Amino acid sequence: MSVAGPRRKRVPASDEERARAQLAIGDITPRSVYAPESPEALAELLRACDRDGRAVVFFGGGTLQGVGHAPSRYDVAISLANVAQVIAYEFSDLTIAVEAGLRARDFDATLAAKGQFVPLDAPLPERSTVGGILASGWLGPRRAAYGRPRDFIIGASLVLADGTIAKAGGMVVKNSTGYDLSRLYVGSLGTLGALVRANFKTLPLPQARRVALARLPDGTFRRAVAHVAALETEPTVALAIAGFLDEIEGRDGSEGRLFAMFEGTPATVERATRELRSALGAAGVPETTILDEAGTRVYQQILDAYVSRLGNRTATYRSVGLPSDVVARAEALARLARVHELEVETILDLRCGDVIARVSDKIATQFAARVVEFDDALANVLSNVRILTAPEALRNRLAMWGSSTVALAKMRELKAHFDPRNTLAPGRFVGKI
Amino acid sequence: MLGRVVSARCASAICYTSQALEVAAPPLTPLIERLVDALGADAVLWEPEDLAVYSFDAFSEDCLPAVAVLPRNARDVSAIVRIARDCGQPIVARGAGTGLCGGAVPVAGGVVVSFARMNRMLELDVPNRRAKAQPGVVNLELSKTAQPFELFFGPDPSSQKTSTLGGNVATNAGGPHALSYGSMINHVLGLEFVDDAGEVVRVSQDDAGYDLTAALVGSEGTLGIVTAIDLRLLRVPRALRVFIAAFGDVETASAAVSAIIASGTVPTALEIMDRTIVRAIESHYHAGFPLDVGAVLLVEIAGEPEDMVAGEAEIETIVRGHGALSWRSAADAAEREALWASRKGAAGALGRIAPNYYIQDATVPRTRLPQAVQRVEEIAKAHRLQVGNVFHAGDGNLHPLLLFDRRERRQVEAVVSAGTEILTACIALGGTISGEHGIGYEKRETLPYVFSANDLAAMGRVRDVFDVRRSFNPDKIFPSSASCAEVLPSRTA
Repeated sequence: MSVAGPRRKRVPASDEERARAQLAIGDITPRSVYAPESPEALAELLRACDRDGRAVVFFGGGTLQGVGHAPSRYDVAISLANVAQVIAYEFSDLTIAVEAGLRARDFDATLAAKGQFVPLDAPLPERSTVGGILASGWLGPRRAAYGRPRDFIIGASLVLADGTIAKAGGMVVKNSTGYDLSRLYVGSLGTLGALVRANFKTLPLPQARRVALARLPDGTFRRAVAHVAALETEPTVALAIAGFLDEIEGRDGSEGRLFAMFEGTPATVERATRELRSALGAAGVPETTILDEAGTRVYQQILDAYVSRLGNRTATYRSVGLPSDVVARAEALARLARVHELEVETILDLRCGDVIARVSDKIATQFAARVVEFDDALANVLSNVRILTAPEALRNRLAMWGSSTVALAKMRELKAHFDPRNTLAPGRFVGKI
Repeated sequence: MLGRVVSARCASAICYTSQALEVAAPPLTPLIERLVDALGADAVLWEPEDLAVYSFDAFSEDCLPAVAVLPRNARDVSAIVRIARDCGQPIVARGAGTGLCGGAVPVAGGVVVSFARMNRMLELDVPNRRAKAQPGVVNLELSKTAQPFELFFGPDPSSQKTSTLGGNVATNAGGPHALSYGSMINHVLGLEFVDDAGEVVRVSQDDAGYDLTAALVGSEGTLGIVTAIDLRLLRVPRALRVFIAAFGDVETASAAVSAIIASGTVPTALEIMDRTIVRAIESHYHAGFPLDVGAVLLVEIAGEPEDMVAGEAEIETIVRGHGALSWRSAADAAEREALWASRKGAAGALGRIAPNYYIQDATVPRTRLPQAVQRVEEIAKAHRLQVGNVFHAGDGNLHPLLLFDRRERRQVEAVVSAGTEILTACIALGGTISGEHGIGYEKRETLPYVFSANDLAAMGRVRDVFDVRRSFNPDKIFPSSASCAEVLPSRTA
């Protein structure tokens, strides 16, 4: 097994086996690992792989590789860790151009140093990369207030399967000049090419942030959710959490917790917190705790929990839908999980409408059998569902993208036009594209 | 549009038009016969005098289509696409025809699909703040429908009283409030469209898979014919203020805008008008803008009531520190609305000072605004043209209006050259050639100034997926080696 290639970053021989094992997806371990150091080197490498019929999977921090099916073929892992520069930070323009391999934490820190941010809401930001967040179509809870990562992309450099480098969009905040392909690459899971550089518009950081956390005693869950949804001053984030006791602090064994985050001016945040307290009080919730510094930490724990995996005995689903039926979908999901004798923990995103549901069992072998049946039955209950993480061995037995097949023919054509030799992450995407 | 003479300058339209004119009662073509069979005679227009209104938009070109059709639903659109395909005819979707780049002009003849009858609101989902509308719904109607529920629609192009949501989707329209709310791309949640095979396809940004919704928004009718649009609505802000600052000249006002953005304050709108524009709109609307100043900056902030005082103080301090001659607040909602109405009517008011104008649309990084404005002035001066500036300064989105008289050949030539020079200057400053109007027919030959052959080829792959025969709005966006017609900016004010 050789680790070789153009402008390769040599991995020490002793670490090679381990490096490859970490890059396994499903039951396939790549034969080679490359970490090109420039977009041009990446382009050269891709051209060679495409020509030689070697299938490629791109890697960022690996935090969201749980998304999608296992590849049907997988010869080469290409890490973008060495393509990680901040290309241009025009902070007075509120725009920034960065390379794909930049860690989310470094991206956030660069922006914060100038009092700005882009609401990526990355899980595990010390590992996850800007490119990985974009490629995986990651969606965080703050999108209801600020918009999706896609809404902040204003341009990109793309490396196509045949090694062509194409740019899209630009470095301006308003643009109707031709098709903006950068948006099409967001969420394409590296199946159309590599989004190697991304240009964003940024926002000024809110002056104040306040987090409120409340225990929801038995019988208050539904009322608390309804009261929070009707708040006059909307929280930036409002989540109703049941379970995740090991991941998210503030545990006490109660039925659920309500997490609300407000961002804005100090005066607004102050008033919003008062409104929340009285709304929750009216719902029968005895106590609401205000967290300031700790609030940001708890928020990150929640984001991390979306993708956390407990050995081979959990799978995490995201149900996408309208905020108005978030409770109904969560209950349907939980009911079905119990029918299949699975434990279930949920995070309800009251503003975005997501239900994050982690199903688990204490015994891994038992879990596999049960979750496969659960997954099969789920298709009849909810259509717009996808899996955020599941045991590697189950990837090809679960409906990783849900049962929806909207516009699949168009998507197949798109893939065929951008990657005619099926070099890029074959089989990973919707409909095994 | 007064005195417009319909010509058939575009090669492929000539042949049909001349036939139609020569023969007193021409036999119906198979194309028209089949369309009448499928949609009924009242939905199909083919007499040249009926077709004239479908021959142009707010750009200068005009070309007669072979036929114009007025579908009532997606099924009709699907039939139109199949029939046009069988007859080898191109299809151009048309909203209100307010586009400024010739996007709705049937430069290759064929079938114009007007959405005048598909103008119904289909759904208003207040709890989830969503609406579903047919493409012919006028932009402002959506906000009016949502208003009783304290909701509104973000994108507000100056044409919003006339332009349709379908047209807004096509151009990724923006408007003054794009500064804080974003353009159409940030508000379209999903689309129903008819593809090149005549199939009805529904896509949503929440679907698993490629974001086809994002691909269609801004594609100027080249990828499919949109038949329904899911849109995001916003909550009406609880507090809103509008301010007017006066400046000695446009460069100083632009520098103040750059400074506001750089300070990390993003108001909901930051609009600049120069002396020429202010005079034109004041004589028309009497909204209360100061007259004897070089430029006026219109500032809007919105949010929570308790944030308004500090918000105003912060911006006023920056603006005064950057040479503002005066600063005042609009007294009430009525004055705010009057100011906005006159700002959005600026282009129309120019008829008072020049017979014709040519509006450009370019975007630069916001710190480059003063240089961009200066370059525009230099270019206009070099070509001995008068220029008016009215633009979305906060977004770096320039709209220089070159004033001219189309009867003066020298002026027409000067306007064409100056327009291209302005675009080139904006590109040199790190900008691009359209912020919100699109490329259409007007700028297709300019697109290679921004994008390399590789970039354009990548876009072409998307086009191939959706419309390999190039039957949807052909000869738009993408450059041709041989242009089919001479482009003359000759819009009548």
